[in-house]
Parts: sequence; C-alpha cells; structure tokens
Amino acid sequence: MDSEDNMDDFSYEYEYEYDDDDDDDDGNGVYNEDSNETTTIHRKKYIVLNKDDIQQRQEDDITKISSLLSITRVSATILLLHYKWSVNKLQDDWFADEEKVRTAAGLFEKPIVHYQSSNKVTCAICFEEYTRSRMPAAGCGHLFCVSCWNSYISTSIKDGSGCLMLRCPDPPCGATVGEDMINRLVSEDGKEKYSRYFIGSYVEGNQTMKWCPGAGCGYAVELAVDTESYDVSCNCTFSFCWNCTEDAHRPVDCSTVSKWTLKNKDESENVNWILANSKACPKCKRPIQKNQGCSHMTCRYPCKFQFCWLCLSDWSNHPTCNRYDGTGKNKEIERKRKMAKKLLDRYSHYYERWAANHSSRKKAIVDLNIMQTEHMENLSNKQCTPETQLTFITDAWLQIIECRRVLKWTYAYGYYLPEDEDVKRQLFEFLQGQAESGLERLHECAEKDLQVYLNAEHIKGFDAFRIKLAGLTRVTKDYFENLVQALENGLSDVDTDRWWSCTHCTYFNQMSAADCKMCILPRIIPQ
Amino acid sequence: MANSNLPRRIIKETQRLLSEPAPGISASPSEENMRYFNVMILGPSQSPYEGGVFKLELFLPEEYPMAAPKLGRICLDILKDKWSPALQIRTVLLSIQALLSAPNPDDPLSENIAKHWKANETEAVETAKEWTHLYASGE
Repeated sequence: MDSEDNMDDFSYEYEYEYDDDDDDDDGNGVYNEDSNETTTIHRKKYIVLNKDDIQQRQEDDITKISSLLSITRVSATILLLHYKWSVNKLQDDWFADEEKVRTAAGLFEKPIVHYQSSNKVTCAICFEEYTRSRMPAAGCGHLFCVSCWNSYISTSIKDGSGCLMLRCPDPPCGATVGEDMINRLVSEDGKEKYSRYFIGSYVEGNQTMKWCPGAGCGYAVELAVDTESYDVSCNCTFSFCWNCTEDAHRPVDCSTVSKWTLKNKDESENVNWILANSKACPKCKRPIQKNQGCSHMTCRYPCKFQFCWLCLSDWSNHPTCNRYDGTGKNKEIERKRKMAKKLLDRYSHYYERWAANHSSRKKAIVDLNIMQTEHMENLSNKQCTPETQLTFITDAWLQIIECRRVLKWTYAYGYYLPEDEDVKRQLFEFLQGQAESGLERLHECAEKDLQVYLNAEHIKGFDAFRIKLAGLTRVTKDYFENLVQALENGLSDVDTDRWWSCTHCTYFNQMSAADCKMCILPRIIPQ
Repeated sequence: MANSNLPRRIIKETQRLLSEPAPGISASPSEENMRYFNVMILGPSQSPYEGGVFKLELFLPEEYPMAAPKLGRICLDILKDKWSPALQIRTVLLSIQALLSAPNPDDPLSENIAKHWKANETEAVETAKEWTHLYASGE
C-alpha cells in the first residue's frame, strides 16, 4: 500500500491547520502515538481530545467568529451553537445574508420591545411587579424577573441539550438566550450541566468526532478525514472502531462484526444446540440431555415419565429396541438433528477459537500490567539493565495484545468466508495458521523464556534473549500487518504469482514448493 | 391543602378568567382544588360546531407555569414543545377555540375522521354538525 506517504501528509496538514494559530505547543489535543516507537510516524490518523482540549477549540472558534464578524463573544457563541460549530458554513451564510442568519439563530441586533418609562414592570410569568433594573432580558428586550428566568432556564437545562438554543419566554419572539444569561441566572449545578451539553455540542456537531464508548471515559476521538482505518485507541486504553463504536475489529468490516455479535447473542444457536444434543421427553416435550450412561430415562418432576433414550418409548413396556425399524417416524427428526449438529459444530469451531483469543488477549493485558508494575524494576536490577532499555518487553506484550485481537477476528472472517471459494479458503487457512503459530512463538517467548531472567541473575543469555524477543516482535508485527491488509483486500492476491494451484488435487501451494503439499505430486506448469 | 399555597400567578389568572371571560369561553376552578378547572367552550359561529357546548377539564401541574397545563388528548403545539411560561390558561383556551374554527386534518386524534374530512369535506362537515347537535347541544 502506498498510502503511508499520504498519512504523513495528513498529519502534517493537521498540525498546520489546528496548531498554527496558538503558540502553546501542546496544541488542542495530543496525537495518539502507538507506544511502539517505530510506528509513530505513520499512525497519526486520529487525535484523542479531553474536555480541556475541546473547550480550547470552542474558545478558538468563538474568538475567530467574534473578530471576523465583529460581534461579541456571546453572539458568536449563539451563532456557532446554531451552526453546530461549522465555522465555514456560518461565515458563508453570514456574508451572503446576515439578516437571515440572525433571524434563524435568534440573534437580535437591538431590542425589539421598549417599555414605558415607568419604573415598575409586571413580570409576564409570575405577574409580580419589579423595578426595571432588576429584570433581565435577552437580546429582544422582553423583561422577566430574576426568579422566573431562573426557573425557566433551569427547567430547560433539566430537559436536555435543547437548553443550548433556549429562546425568550415570550412566545413569538424567538430571541436566543445567551451563555452570559445562563451564567448569571442559574445555580452552580445548572451551570455545570449546561457546560456538559455545551462541550457535547462540539463533539456531536462534528462529523469527524465521537465520544469514546469506553466505560466512564470522557475523551473524544477525532478521525482524519480520508483515513482508511477506523480502529482507534483512546487514551483510556480502550480500543474501538470509530465507525461502529464496537471493539476494534480489523481486519473484518463493521457489518461482519454486527452479524457475528448478533449471532453470538442469538437464541437460535441455543436452539440448534438443544436440537443437536437433546431429545424431547415423549410425554411433556421438555428437552432432555442424557447425563448418565444407561438408556433408562426419567423425566423431571412433575412429569416423571420413564422412557428409553434410544427409541423414546415407554420404559414399562420396553423389552428391547435393537431391531432396526426402517419405517420409523423418528428418521426425519434424526436427520434434522444431525444437520443441526453439523451446523453447530462448524459455528462452535470458529466461536471457540474466537473466544479463546479474546480471553488470551485479556490475559495478556493483565500480564503486561503485572510486568510493568511488578517485574520491570526487579528485572532491571537483576540484569543490570536500565528500564529504558527494557521497552522491548513492553513492545512485545503490546504486539501480542494487538495480534490476539486480529487473530480473534480472523475467526469471524473465516466463518463468513463462503465455503465454495476453495482457493480463497485454503489461502486463508494457510495464512491464519501461519499467523497463529507465529503468535504462539512470540507469546511463549515473552511468557516462558522471560521467566528465567526474572528469577535468576543471568546476565549472559539476556542479550540473546533480547535479540530473539525483539526479532520475533518485529517479524510477527510485519506478518500480522500484511495479514490484515490481505484480508481487508478480500484475499485478492489469490491470483498473483505467489501461489500455485495443484492440477491434480487443486490444493493451493506456496510458490516455493516444487511438489504439491497435499498430494505430493509434482507441479505441472501449463505451457 | 394544595389551595393554601397557590402561587400569586394562578390566583391572578383565575380572577381575570372569572371577571373578564373571553367570548365563548368559561373556565372556573373546582372548589376542592383550585388547580383543577371546569371549562366550557362554545362552538365558534360559522363552524360545523356552532351551537355546541364543549366541556373540558384542565389541570395546572405543580410546575405550572414552567410546564404546560394538562388537558385531554388535544394535538396543540403550545401544549407540548411550544409551551412557554409567558402563555396563560386564556391563551390555551383561545387556541383550542381557534382549532374548532379551523381543524387540522394533518394532526388528528381520529385517523378515520381525518381521512373522511380530506376525502369529502362537505360530507364530513355534515357529520360534524349532526354530532354537535346530537352530543354537544348542552341538554
């Protein structure tokens, strides 16, 4: 793939676009950097933003619009909220037809109502009289008392994010209540809620930004515009697919994931299991699984019917059932059961391996954590090596975690790969098999080989171990990256010159093999 | 008791509804609960509902006027998202009266009647007149 250059271009532009106008060099958000240093350069496809980063961006947008349109910050905020923070659209519309924009957003140039000069005004909500100076108004000039404003705004904040575009209580008026009034007129609690909606509006209004779905996570993730990959890793360590917000799932696409997730939850698999592994009680029809050796079955209370597991007839008049009955009505049921069992076996094959890698990955995350918190310092002392030079171990574990994730999803990929596409299937299984053994090698090295050095002062072999583990990490990483690409391309490499199909048995062999691995016959190259 | 703590706004609104009722509308609070109103709206003249008396019950919830008054199943925007505390019982009842003058078949309570109205307005108006006479003539 030649898009790496483009990625670099992107991150460069990105930095330019967002960081050139403020001098604080931490910018508005931190580029997510893969902890594996060798990949940082072309992994900047998304940015993780915290609350402060988002607020900073909002401030910047407000400043920009305020100076560009020569309006107050409060007015700029009203417009930006109305335009869901689309600075460009707002500018275009404003300079095309300012009046129209003002009306739509409820931003008044000057008050539209003027009260008689008398000092007292009746609040149109509570009907009490107040001195005018104690009655605030939005841009329109409609006066209401402080207490009614407070109830009005608080009620709206309680109702949800609609409070961001709250209008004057006077029905046809439509003037928007600005942030300044909110801050002046509601409680701390209300202000805090309002602020949450306010920050949220920036993320939700932005097509390239989403909240991290991780439990209790308050970060948002902004995706590069033309990125090909949706897999992102939030600063809270949660990895997810930006597109469907499920767990990260390269190389399979979002629709496969949703199909697979649904299938795993689906009752129908249970039904298949029951069908394949149980029989219905001939009397009460409740499904029964045989859990003891003999064929004399007794159904559960309250049914308590006794029958033969093999022929399902009443046990009391059941001498034997060994004679074959070709006309038996149980034949159809038996055929269905076998069919269901076959389908279920296939699914379980993929599901078991998917689940095994899933838990393997979880374990690896725990192991990495233990490694970092408990073993690193000890290892550093024992092997007389500074911790900074032990990052190859962390790298290895991070790679294992990533590979377990990929491998897990290859099983969903395999399950949905059409069974009649033999060539693809063979290639897929070959690639998957290689991936699995490669990963096992790496995992074992990081888990078992390392133990020796954790337990004893064993300086001599440690350098060799470092070379081995770092090497395995690199090789496995490359292999998995290629695997992900190959699978994402739908194994379109099938026809390239890296593989040949045996003319005798159709098995798919690697180019280096002179004889077919399956039928051992020599390769025949067509003229 | 609920009546003892009645906000000044509700007392004033009630007084005004009783002393200067809107034409064709009467609203009087129940004796046990001042937040509960018995309402009568006369069918507007030159509408199919002319000559009819339409009875309604109106209730002011605890949050009133921050929340809208509660009425039966009437599709009126100001009773839902367009409610504003600057509106009053009087404005709500006037809106309902206006709805009788100009029914909105695009937002009906009864789908069948709306269909009938759209397909054959003359006939639907006749039915409305008949039903007004039968069920709302105040006897």
